[in-house]
Amino acid sequence: MTVTAASPALLHAVGDRALTWLDNHREHFRLTAGDLADNVAVTERLKPIGELALNMQVLFREGVAGSRQKARAGQLLDFAWRELLDGGNVLARLQQDEPLSPVPVEVYATFHELGHRHPGLEATLEVCRRTATWATLEMVPNRRLGVLNAERKLGLPPSSDFDQAMARTWLGQLAEPWTVQLHIAYDITHTVFHLTNWGEAPERIPPAVADYLTRYLPAWLEDWADLEHWDLLGELLVVDACLPRPALDAELWERYAAAQSPEGAMPIHQQMPRGDAAQVFDQVHHPTLVAAFASAMATSRAMSAV
Amino acid sequence: MAEQTQGAVPLSAVIADAATGVALALRGEGGPYALSGILRHNDALTPAAVRVLGADALAPYAMEHRGAPVGPEDEAVVRQALAAYPPGADASEVSRWTYRGLVEASHAFLPAGAQPWPAPPEAATGWVDSTPWPKLSHRVSQLAALALPKLAPGLAEQLTARTDDLSRGFVRAVRRRDWLQAAGLGRWLARLPDVAPTLGLDSGLAFVRQMGGADPRVALHVVAAQRFYGRGW
Repeated sequence: MTVTAASPALLHAVGDRALTWLDNHREHFRLTAGDLADNVAVTERLKPIGELALNMQVLFREGVAGSRQKARAGQLLDFAWRELLDGGNVLARLQQDEPLSPVPVEVYATFHELGHRHPGLEATLEVCRRTATWATLEMVPNRRLGVLNAERKLGLPPSSDFDQAMARTWLGQLAEPWTVQLHIAYDITHTVFHLTNWGEAPERIPPAVADYLTRYLPAWLEDWADLEHWDLLGELLVVDACLPRPALDAELWERYAAAQSPEGAMPIHQQMPRGDAAQVFDQVHHPTLVAAFASAMATSRAMSAV
Repeated sequence: MAEQTQGAVPLSAVIADAATGVALALRGEGGPYALSGILRHNDALTPAAVRVLGADALAPYAMEHRGAPVGPEDEAVVRQALAAYPPGADASEVSRWTYRGLVEASHAFLPAGAQPWPAPPEAATGWVDSTPWPKLSHRVSQLAALALPKLAPGLAEQLTARTDDLSRGFVRAVRRRDWLQAAGLGRWLARLPDVAPTLGLDSGLAFVRQMGGADPRVALHVVAAQRFYGRGW
Protein backbone atom coordinates (compact mmCIF):
# COMPACT_ATOMS: atom_id res chain seq x y z
CA MET A 1 0.00 0.00 0.00
CA THR A 2 1.47 3.33 -1.00
CA VAL A 3 -0.18 6.59 -0.10
CA THR A 4 -1.06 9.28 -2.64
CA ALA A 5 1.22 12.31 -2.43
CA ALA A 6 -0.26 15.79 -2.19
CA SER A 7 0.09 18.08 -5.21
CA PRO A 8 2.76 20.80 -5.04
CA ALA A 9 -0.05 23.36 -5.52
CA LEU A 10 -1.82 22.25 -2.34
CA LEU A 11 1.44 22.13 -0.37
CA HIS A 12 2.47 25.56 -1.58
CA ALA A 13 -0.90 27.21 -0.92
CA VAL A 14 -0.74 26.41 2.82
CA GLY A 15 2.55 28.27 3.17
CA ASP A 16 1.52 31.15 0.96
CA ARG A 17 -1.56 31.78 3.09
CA ALA A 18 0.45 31.40 6.31
CA LEU A 19 3.06 33.91 5.15
CA THR A 20 0.33 36.39 4.21
CA TRP A 21 -1.12 36.14 7.70
CA LEU A 22 2.30 36.46 9.37
CA ASP A 23 3.12 39.53 7.31
CA ASN A 24 -0.26 41.10 8.02
CA HIS A 25 0.27 40.58 11.73
CA ARG A 26 3.94 41.43 11.97
CA GLU A 27 3.40 44.29 14.44
CA HIS A 28 2.37 41.70 16.99
CA PHE A 29 5.92 40.30 17.02
CA ARG A 30 7.19 43.62 18.42
CA LEU A 31 8.52 43.79 21.96
CA THR A 32 6.79 46.44 24.02
CA ALA A 33 8.59 48.79 26.39
CA GLY A 34 7.18 46.63 29.20
CA ASP A 35 8.62 43.49 27.63
CA LEU A 36 12.05 45.11 27.26
CA ALA A 37 12.21 45.90 30.96
CA ASP A 38 11.89 42.24 31.92
CA ASN A 39 14.31 39.58 30.70
CA VAL A 40 11.80 36.79 31.20
CA ALA A 41 9.44 38.62 28.86
CA VAL A 42 12.25 39.31 26.39
CA THR A 43 13.17 35.62 26.30
CA GLU A 44 9.54 34.74 25.72
CA ARG A 45 9.11 37.26 22.91
CA LEU A 46 12.38 36.28 21.23
CA LYS A 47 11.14 32.76 20.59
CA PRO A 48 8.59 33.73 17.91
CA ILE A 49 11.05 36.20 16.38
CA GLY A 50 13.67 33.48 16.09
CA GLU A 51 11.10 31.17 14.58
CA LEU A 52 9.98 33.84 12.14
CA ALA A 53 13.55 34.31 10.96
CA LEU A 54 14.06 30.58 10.64
CA ASN A 55 11.00 30.28 8.51
CA MET A 56 11.96 33.04 6.14
CA GLN A 57 15.36 31.48 5.84
CA VAL A 58 13.84 28.12 4.97
CA LEU A 59 11.75 29.80 2.27
CA PHE A 60 14.85 31.34 0.68
CA ARG A 61 16.88 28.18 1.03
CA GLU A 62 14.34 25.83 -0.45
CA GLY A 63 13.76 28.15 -3.39
CA VAL A 64 10.07 27.42 -3.47
CA ALA A 65 8.82 30.97 -2.99
CA GLY A 66 7.42 32.93 -5.90
CA SER A 67 8.79 36.43 -6.48
CA ARG A 68 6.00 38.10 -4.50
CA GLN A 69 6.42 35.66 -1.63
CA LYS A 70 10.18 36.09 -1.71
CA ALA A 71 9.92 39.88 -1.51
CA ARG A 72 7.52 39.55 1.38
CA ALA A 73 9.86 37.18 3.24
CA GLY A 74 12.81 39.52 2.67
CA GLN A 75 10.92 42.47 4.05
CA LEU A 76 9.83 40.48 7.07
CA LEU A 77 13.42 39.49 7.80
CA ASP A 78 14.65 43.06 7.56
CA PHE A 79 11.83 44.12 9.80
CA ALA A 80 12.77 41.43 12.32
CA TRP A 81 16.47 42.33 12.45
CA ARG A 82 16.22 46.09 12.27
CA GLU A 83 13.03 46.86 14.09
CA LEU A 84 12.26 43.94 16.36
CA LEU A 85 15.86 43.23 17.40
CA ASP A 86 17.28 46.73 16.94
CA GLY A 87 20.08 45.37 14.77
CA GLY A 88 20.90 42.68 17.32
CA ASN A 89 21.08 45.03 20.32
CA VAL A 90 18.10 43.36 21.97
CA LEU A 91 19.96 40.04 21.82
CA ALA A 92 23.21 41.56 23.05
CA ARG A 93 21.47 43.20 26.00
CA LEU A 94 19.88 39.93 27.07
CA GLN A 95 23.23 38.20 26.72
CA GLN A 96 24.86 40.91 28.84
CA ASP A 97 22.38 40.20 31.62
CA GLU A 98 22.37 36.41 31.19
CA PRO A 99 25.71 35.50 29.61
CA LEU A 100 25.15 31.75 29.82
CA SER A 101 21.67 31.74 28.33
CA PRO A 102 21.66 29.92 24.99
CA VAL A 103 18.63 31.94 23.80
CA PRO A 104 20.42 34.97 22.30
CA VAL A 105 22.89 32.68 20.53
CA GLU A 106 20.18 30.46 19.08
CA VAL A 107 18.25 33.42 17.69
CA TYR A 108 21.38 35.20 16.51
CA ALA A 109 22.66 32.12 14.67
CA THR A 110 19.85 32.33 12.14
CA PHE A 111 20.45 36.01 11.43
CA HIS A 112 24.16 35.34 11.22
CA GLU A 113 23.56 32.74 8.54
CA LEU A 114 21.55 35.35 6.69
CA GLY A 115 24.49 37.73 6.76
CA HIS A 116 23.71 39.95 9.74
CA ARG A 117 26.45 40.62 12.32
CA HIS A 118 26.70 41.93 15.88
CA PRO A 119 30.40 41.94 16.90
CA GLY A 120 29.68 42.73 20.56
CA LEU A 121 27.48 39.70 20.92
CA GLU A 122 30.05 37.49 19.23
CA ALA A 123 32.81 38.76 21.55
CA THR A 124 30.79 37.91 24.66
CA LEU A 125 29.92 34.55 23.23
CA GLU A 126 33.59 33.80 22.61
CA VAL A 127 34.39 34.38 26.27
CA CYS A 128 31.46 32.34 27.54
CA ARG A 129 32.16 29.45 25.21
CA ARG A 130 35.62 29.01 26.71
CA THR A 131 34.20 28.21 30.13
CA ALA A 132 33.62 24.64 31.21
CA THR A 133 30.15 25.60 32.30
CA TRP A 134 29.04 26.36 28.71
CA ALA A 135 29.32 22.72 27.65
CA THR A 136 28.03 21.31 30.91
CA LEU A 137 24.93 23.43 31.45
CA GLU A 138 22.15 21.00 32.22
CA MET A 139 19.43 20.93 29.62
CA VAL A 140 17.22 18.34 27.96
CA PRO A 141 19.11 16.37 25.30
CA ASN A 142 17.34 17.80 22.26
CA ARG A 143 17.95 21.33 23.50
CA ARG A 144 21.67 20.50 23.66
CA LEU A 145 21.43 19.59 19.98
CA GLY A 146 19.86 23.01 19.40
CA VAL A 147 22.84 24.76 21.00
CA LEU A 148 25.29 22.65 19.02
CA ASN A 149 23.38 23.43 15.83
CA ALA A 150 23.49 27.15 16.63
CA GLU A 151 27.28 26.90 17.03
CA ARG A 152 27.47 25.10 13.72
CA LYS A 153 25.45 27.87 12.07
CA LEU A 154 27.87 30.41 13.52
CA GLY A 155 30.82 28.49 12.10
CA LEU A 156 32.19 27.76 15.58
CA PRO A 157 33.76 24.49 16.70
CA PRO A 158 31.19 22.43 18.61
CA SER A 159 31.28 22.78 22.39
CA SER A 160 30.51 19.06 22.76
CA ASP A 161 30.15 15.98 20.59
CA PHE A 162 27.13 16.12 18.29
CA ASP A 163 26.73 12.36 17.86
CA GLN A 164 26.87 11.77 21.59
CA ALA A 165 24.28 14.50 22.12
CA MET A 166 22.07 12.87 19.49
CA ALA A 167 22.46 9.46 21.13
CA ARG A 168 21.16 10.91 24.39
CA THR A 169 17.87 12.08 22.89
CA TRP A 170 14.67 10.06 23.05
CA LEU A 171 14.78 9.63 19.29
CA GLY A 172 18.43 8.64 19.36
CA GLN A 173 17.48 5.80 21.69
CA LEU A 174 14.69 4.59 19.35
CA ALA A 175 12.43 3.99 22.34
CA GLU A 176 9.04 2.27 22.06
CA PRO A 177 6.95 4.16 19.48
CA TRP A 178 3.68 3.34 21.26
CA THR A 179 4.77 5.37 24.31
CA VAL A 180 4.87 8.61 22.33
CA GLN A 181 2.64 11.28 23.83
CA LEU A 182 2.48 15.00 23.15
CA HIS A 183 5.73 16.01 24.86
CA ILE A 184 7.73 13.11 23.47
CA ALA A 185 6.38 13.93 20.02
CA TYR A 186 7.72 17.49 20.31
CA ASP A 187 11.05 16.11 21.54
CA ILE A 188 11.16 13.99 18.39
CA THR A 189 10.33 16.84 16.01
CA HIS A 190 12.87 19.16 17.61
CA THR A 191 15.57 16.53 17.52
CA VAL A 192 14.99 16.24 13.77
CA PHE A 193 14.94 20.03 13.34
CA HIS A 194 18.28 20.54 15.12
CA LEU A 195 19.87 17.47 13.59
CA THR A 196 19.05 18.58 10.05
CA ASN A 197 19.46 22.33 10.68
CA TRP A 198 15.75 22.87 10.14
CA GLY A 199 15.50 20.59 7.15
CA GLU A 200 18.59 21.87 5.35
CA ALA A 201 20.51 18.60 5.64
CA PRO A 202 18.06 15.69 5.89
CA GLU A 203 20.92 13.30 5.14
CA ARG A 204 22.26 13.93 8.65
CA ILE A 205 19.48 11.73 10.04
CA PRO A 206 21.27 8.44 10.81
CA PRO A 207 19.89 5.52 8.72
CA ALA A 208 18.55 3.66 11.76
CA VAL A 209 16.66 6.76 12.86
CA ALA A 210 15.30 7.35 9.35
CA ASP A 211 14.10 3.73 9.24
CA TYR A 212 12.47 4.12 12.61
CA LEU A 213 10.69 7.31 11.58
CA THR A 214 9.61 5.85 8.24
CA ARG A 215 8.08 2.93 10.08
CA TYR A 216 6.25 4.72 12.88
CA LEU A 217 5.70 8.34 11.82
CA PRO A 218 2.53 7.43 9.85
CA ALA A 219 0.92 6.18 13.07
CA TRP A 220 1.63 9.44 14.89
CA LEU A 221 0.56 11.57 11.94
CA GLU A 222 -2.73 9.75 11.64
CA ASP A 223 -3.43 9.96 15.33
CA TRP A 224 -2.69 13.65 15.79
CA ALA A 225 -4.63 14.47 12.64
CA ASP A 226 -7.62 12.66 14.16
CA LEU A 227 -7.08 14.60 17.38
CA GLU A 228 -6.92 17.79 15.25
CA HIS A 229 -3.70 18.90 16.93
CA TRP A 230 -2.59 21.07 14.02
CA ASP A 231 0.52 22.48 15.67
CA LEU A 232 2.04 19.06 16.29
CA LEU A 233 0.70 17.67 13.01
CA GLY A 234 2.54 20.47 11.17
CA GLU A 235 5.80 19.64 12.95
CA LEU A 236 5.36 15.96 12.17
CA LEU A 237 4.74 16.85 8.52
CA VAL A 238 8.12 18.63 8.54
CA VAL A 239 9.70 15.43 9.84
CA ASP A 240 8.04 13.51 7.02
CA ALA A 241 9.51 15.97 4.51
CA CYS A 242 12.97 15.32 6.00
CA LEU A 243 12.83 11.56 5.39
CA PRO A 244 14.63 9.85 2.51
CA ARG A 245 11.26 9.02 0.89
CA PRO A 246 8.69 11.48 2.23
CA ALA A 247 5.06 10.37 2.01
CA LEU A 248 3.58 13.91 1.67
CA ASP A 249 0.27 12.14 2.29
CA ALA A 250 -2.44 13.96 0.29
CA GLU A 251 -5.21 13.00 2.66
CA LEU A 252 -3.35 14.39 5.71
CA TRP A 253 -2.34 17.56 3.90
CA GLU A 254 -5.93 18.17 2.82
CA ARG A 255 -7.10 17.91 6.42
CA TYR A 256 -4.25 20.17 7.53
CA ALA A 257 -5.04 22.77 4.85
CA ALA A 258 -8.74 22.68 5.72
CA ALA A 259 -7.92 23.63 9.32
CA GLN A 260 -6.32 26.91 8.22
CA SER A 261 -8.42 30.06 8.69
CA PRO A 262 -9.45 32.00 5.57
CA GLU A 263 -6.84 34.65 6.55
CA GLY A 264 -4.09 32.03 6.70
CA ALA A 265 -3.68 31.42 10.43
CA MET A 266 -3.39 27.85 11.69
CA PRO A 267 -5.07 27.02 15.01
CA ILE A 268 -3.07 25.02 17.56
CA HIS A 269 -5.84 22.56 18.28
CA GLN A 270 -9.22 22.11 16.64
CA GLN A 271 -10.71 25.56 15.86
CA MET A 272 -9.36 29.10 15.75
CA PRO A 273 -9.42 30.68 19.22
CA ARG A 274 -11.52 33.76 19.97
CA GLY A 275 -10.34 36.94 21.62
CA ASP A 276 -8.70 40.23 20.73
CA ALA A 277 -6.08 40.34 18.00
CA ALA A 278 -3.12 40.20 20.40
CA GLN A 279 -4.49 37.20 22.29
CA VAL A 280 -5.25 35.35 19.08
CA PHE A 281 -1.77 36.15 17.78
CA ASP A 282 -0.14 34.75 20.92
CA GLN A 283 -2.00 31.49 20.45
CA VAL A 284 -1.68 30.96 16.72
CA HIS A 285 1.63 32.45 15.65
CA HIS A 286 3.50 29.22 16.39
CA PRO A 287 1.25 26.82 14.45
CA THR A 288 1.12 29.35 11.61
CA LEU A 289 4.93 29.56 11.48
CA VAL A 290 5.01 25.78 11.51
CA ALA A 291 2.55 25.74 8.59
CA ALA A 292 4.87 27.97 6.57
CA PHE A 293 7.83 25.74 7.47
CA ALA A 294 6.05 22.48 6.66
CA SER A 295 4.76 23.90 3.40
CA ALA A 296 8.20 25.08 2.25
CA MET A 297 9.82 21.75 3.08
CA ALA A 298 7.06 19.62 1.55
CA THR A 299 6.77 21.77 -1.59
CA SER A 300 10.50 21.55 -2.10
CA ARG A 301 10.48 17.76 -1.74
CA ALA A 302 7.43 17.39 -4.00
CA MET A 303 9.04 19.50 -6.69
CA SER A 304 12.38 17.72 -6.52
CA ALA A 305 10.50 14.43 -6.93
CA VAL A 306 8.73 15.60 -10.13
CA MET B 1 -23.26 -6.59 17.79
CA ALA B 2 -26.84 -6.86 18.98
CA GLU B 3 -26.79 -8.12 22.50
CA GLN B 4 -29.17 -10.92 23.32
CA THR B 5 -30.16 -11.46 26.89
CA GLN B 6 -31.47 -14.40 28.72
CA GLY B 7 -32.51 -13.64 32.21
CA ALA B 8 -29.93 -11.35 33.76
CA VAL B 9 -26.92 -12.66 31.84
CA PRO B 10 -26.07 -10.75 28.65
CA LEU B 11 -24.09 -12.36 25.87
CA SER B 12 -21.11 -10.10 26.60
CA ALA B 13 -20.87 -11.55 30.11
CA VAL B 14 -21.01 -15.09 28.77
CA ILE B 15 -18.23 -14.25 26.30
CA ALA B 16 -16.18 -12.58 29.03
CA ASP B 17 -16.48 -15.61 31.31
CA ALA B 18 -15.56 -17.96 28.49
CA ALA B 19 -12.57 -15.79 27.52
CA THR B 20 -11.43 -15.87 31.14
CA GLY B 21 -11.71 -19.66 31.13
CA VAL B 22 -9.67 -19.95 27.92
CA ALA B 23 -7.01 -17.56 29.21
CA LEU B 24 -6.73 -19.49 32.49
CA ALA B 25 -6.29 -22.72 30.57
CA LEU B 26 -3.61 -21.17 28.35
CA ARG B 27 -1.78 -20.08 31.49
CA GLY B 28 -1.99 -23.67 32.74
CA GLU B 29 -4.28 -22.74 35.62
CA GLY B 30 -7.75 -23.86 36.59
CA GLY B 31 -7.54 -27.56 35.85
CA PRO B 32 -7.87 -29.43 32.54
CA TYR B 33 -9.73 -27.47 29.91
CA ALA B 34 -13.08 -28.62 28.56
CA LEU B 35 -14.99 -26.34 26.22
CA SER B 36 -18.26 -27.72 27.50
CA GLY B 37 -17.12 -26.79 30.98
CA ILE B 38 -17.03 -23.07 30.20
CA LEU B 39 -19.87 -23.00 27.66
CA ARG B 40 -22.62 -25.50 28.32
CA HIS B 41 -24.11 -27.35 25.43
CA ASN B 42 -27.66 -26.68 26.50
CA ASP B 43 -27.21 -22.95 27.10
CA ALA B 44 -29.05 -20.88 24.48
CA LEU B 45 -26.23 -18.32 24.32
CA THR B 46 -23.47 -20.87 23.77
CA PRO B 47 -23.54 -20.95 19.95
CA ALA B 48 -23.38 -17.14 19.78
CA ALA B 49 -20.51 -17.06 22.28
CA VAL B 50 -18.56 -19.69 20.34
CA ARG B 51 -19.21 -17.74 17.17
CA VAL B 52 -17.65 -14.63 18.72
CA LEU B 53 -14.68 -16.45 20.25
CA GLY B 54 -14.10 -18.39 17.02
CA ALA B 55 -10.96 -20.51 17.07
CA ASP B 56 -10.15 -19.26 20.56
CA ALA B 57 -12.85 -21.54 21.96
CA LEU B 58 -10.48 -24.36 20.99
CA ALA B 59 -7.17 -22.61 21.68
CA PRO B 60 -6.34 -24.66 24.81
CA TYR B 61 -6.59 -27.83 22.71
CA ALA B 62 -3.70 -26.50 20.63
CA MET B 63 -1.35 -26.80 23.61
CA GLU B 64 0.95 -29.77 23.62
CA HIS B 65 0.21 -30.92 27.15
CA ARG B 66 -3.42 -30.13 27.63
CA GLY B 67 -4.26 -33.03 29.94
CA ALA B 68 -7.88 -33.95 29.42
CA PRO B 69 -9.09 -35.57 26.21
CA VAL B 70 -11.79 -33.91 24.13
CA GLY B 71 -15.17 -35.36 25.00
CA PRO B 72 -18.40 -35.72 23.04
CA GLU B 73 -19.95 -32.77 24.89
CA ASP B 74 -17.11 -30.48 23.78
CA GLU B 75 -17.47 -31.65 20.22
CA ALA B 76 -21.22 -31.09 20.35
CA VAL B 77 -20.73 -27.46 21.39
CA VAL B 78 -18.56 -26.86 18.33
CA ARG B 79 -20.89 -28.66 15.93
CA GLN B 80 -23.85 -26.72 17.26
CA ALA B 81 -22.09 -23.38 16.74
CA LEU B 82 -20.94 -24.33 13.25
CA ALA B 83 -24.46 -25.36 12.32
CA ALA B 84 -26.05 -22.23 13.80
CA TYR B 85 -23.99 -19.58 12.04
CA PRO B 86 -22.72 -20.57 8.60
CA PRO B 87 -21.62 -17.36 6.85
CA GLY B 88 -24.11 -16.16 4.27
CA ALA B 89 -23.27 -14.85 0.83
CA ASP B 90 -23.21 -11.28 2.17
CA ALA B 91 -21.14 -12.08 5.28
CA SER B 92 -18.32 -9.65 6.10
CA GLU B 93 -14.71 -10.75 5.72
CA VAL B 94 -14.40 -10.81 9.48
CA SER B 95 -17.41 -13.11 9.94
CA ARG B 96 -16.28 -15.37 7.14
CA TRP B 97 -12.73 -15.65 8.46
CA THR B 98 -13.84 -16.09 12.06
CA TYR B 99 -16.08 -18.96 11.05
CA ARG B 100 -13.36 -20.44 8.92
CA GLY B 101 -11.00 -20.14 11.88
CA LEU B 102 -13.32 -22.25 14.02
CA VAL B 103 -13.57 -24.88 11.26
CA GLU B 104 -9.80 -24.91 10.79
CA ALA B 105 -9.28 -25.20 14.54
CA SER B 106 -11.68 -28.15 14.67
CA HIS B 107 -9.66 -29.92 12.00
CA ALA B 108 -6.35 -29.04 13.60
CA PHE B 109 -6.99 -29.49 17.32
CA LEU B 110 -9.93 -31.89 17.70
CA PRO B 111 -9.85 -35.60 16.94
CA ALA B 112 -11.55 -36.72 13.75
CA GLY B 113 -14.67 -38.42 15.08
CA ALA B 114 -17.13 -40.65 13.34
CA GLN B 115 -18.58 -37.61 11.67
CA PRO B 116 -16.13 -35.48 9.65
CA TRP B 117 -15.79 -31.73 10.30
CA PRO B 118 -17.18 -29.52 7.53
CA ALA B 119 -14.77 -28.21 4.91
CA PRO B 120 -13.48 -24.68 5.62
CA PRO B 121 -15.50 -22.14 3.62
CA GLU B 122 -13.72 -20.03 1.05
CA ALA B 123 -12.42 -16.75 2.47
CA ALA B 124 -10.79 -14.11 0.29
CA THR B 125 -7.44 -12.50 1.06
CA GLY B 126 -7.42 -9.76 -1.60
CA TRP B 127 -8.21 -7.15 1.04
CA VAL B 128 -4.92 -7.83 2.83
CA ASP B 129 -2.90 -6.18 0.06
CA SER B 130 -5.32 -3.40 -0.81
CA THR B 131 -6.62 -2.07 2.51
CA PRO B 132 -4.97 1.07 3.98
CA TRP B 133 -3.19 0.34 7.26
CA PRO B 134 -5.66 1.91 9.71
CA LYS B 135 -8.57 -0.16 8.39
CA LEU B 136 -6.39 -3.22 7.89
CA SER B 137 -5.25 -2.99 11.50
CA HIS B 138 -8.78 -2.80 12.78
CA ARG B 139 -9.84 -5.80 10.73
CA VAL B 140 -6.84 -7.92 11.62
CA SER B 141 -7.35 -7.22 15.32
CA GLN B 142 -10.87 -8.60 14.94
CA LEU B 143 -9.28 -11.77 13.57
CA ALA B 144 -6.92 -12.21 16.51
CA ALA B 145 -8.28 -15.70 17.24
CA LEU B 146 -6.70 -16.86 13.96
CA ALA B 147 -3.26 -16.16 15.39
CA LEU B 148 -2.92 -19.75 16.54
CA PRO B 149 -0.49 -22.44 15.38
CA LYS B 150 -1.43 -24.16 12.11
CA LEU B 151 -4.38 -21.86 11.40
CA ALA B 152 -4.76 -19.68 8.29
CA PRO B 153 -1.19 -20.14 7.00
CA GLY B 154 -2.01 -18.30 3.77
CA LEU B 155 -3.39 -15.31 5.65
CA ALA B 156 -0.34 -15.26 7.91
CA GLU B 157 1.95 -15.26 4.91
CA GLN B 158 0.15 -12.34 3.32
CA LEU B 159 0.08 -10.41 6.57
CA THR B 160 3.83 -10.84 6.85
CA ALA B 161 4.14 -8.39 3.96
CA ARG B 162 2.09 -5.88 5.99
CA THR B 163 4.08 -6.26 9.22
CA ASP B 164 5.10 -2.61 9.35
CA ASP B 165 1.53 -1.51 8.71
CA LEU B 166 0.24 -3.69 11.53
CA SER B 167 3.00 -2.26 13.74
CA ARG B 168 1.65 1.21 12.95
CA GLY B 169 -1.79 -0.01 13.91
CA PHE B 170 -0.42 -1.34 17.20
CA VAL B 171 1.22 2.02 17.95
CA ARG B 172 -1.95 3.91 17.18
CA ALA B 173 -4.16 1.51 19.15
CA VAL B 174 -1.99 1.76 22.28
CA ARG B 175 -1.88 5.54 21.94
CA ARG B 176 -5.66 5.59 21.74
CA ARG B 177 -5.94 3.19 24.65
CA ASP B 178 -7.94 0.87 22.43
CA TRP B 179 -6.67 -2.13 24.35
CA LEU B 180 -8.71 -4.75 22.53
CA GLN B 181 -7.41 -3.66 19.16
CA ALA B 182 -3.88 -3.34 20.52
CA ALA B 183 -4.01 -6.82 22.06
CA GLY B 184 -5.38 -8.39 18.88
CA LEU B 185 -2.72 -6.74 16.73
CA GLY B 186 0.01 -7.53 19.23
CA ARG B 187 -1.03 -11.18 19.13
CA TRP B 188 -0.82 -11.28 15.34
CA LEU B 189 2.51 -9.48 15.39
CA ALA B 190 3.75 -12.11 17.83
CA ARG B 191 3.07 -14.70 15.15
CA LEU B 192 4.71 -12.79 12.27
CA PRO B 193 8.44 -13.36 11.76
CA ASP B 194 9.70 -9.90 10.77
CA VAL B 195 8.51 -7.54 13.49
CA ALA B 196 11.05 -4.75 13.99
CA PRO B 197 12.77 -4.93 17.40
CA THR B 198 12.17 -1.16 17.74
CA LEU B 199 8.43 -1.81 18.15
CA GLY B 200 9.15 -3.16 21.63
CA LEU B 201 6.47 -5.80 21.21
CA ASP B 202 7.27 -7.70 24.41
CA SER B 203 7.00 -4.62 26.61
CA GLY B 204 4.03 -3.52 24.54
CA LEU B 205 2.07 -6.70 25.18
CA ALA B 206 2.84 -6.50 28.89
CA PHE B 207 1.76 -2.85 28.90
CA VAL B 208 -1.51 -3.66 27.13
CA ARG B 209 -2.24 -6.45 29.62
CA GLN B 210 -1.46 -4.16 32.55
CA MET B 211 -3.57 -1.26 31.28
CA GLY B 212 -6.39 -3.13 29.56
CA GLY B 213 -6.35 -6.61 31.00
CA ALA B 214 -9.54 -6.05 32.97
CA ASP B 215 -11.25 -6.97 29.69
CA PRO B 216 -10.94 -10.79 29.57
CA ARG B 217 -10.60 -10.73 25.77
CA VAL B 218 -7.58 -8.42 26.05
CA ALA B 219 -6.06 -10.76 28.63
CA LEU B 220 -6.78 -13.76 26.39
CA HIS B 221 -4.96 -12.23 23.38
CA VAL B 222 -1.92 -11.34 25.47
CA VAL B 223 -1.68 -14.76 27.08
CA ALA B 224 -2.11 -16.45 23.66
CA ALA B 225 0.77 -14.37 22.27
CA GLN B 226 2.91 -15.56 25.14
CA ARG B 227 1.81 -19.19 25.18
CA PHE B 228 2.07 -19.89 21.46
CA TYR B 229 4.68 -17.42 20.24
CA GLY B 230 6.71 -16.62 23.32
CA ARG B 231 6.18 -12.86 23.05
CA GLY B 232 5.37 -10.56 25.95
CA TRP B 233 5.98 -11.27 29.58
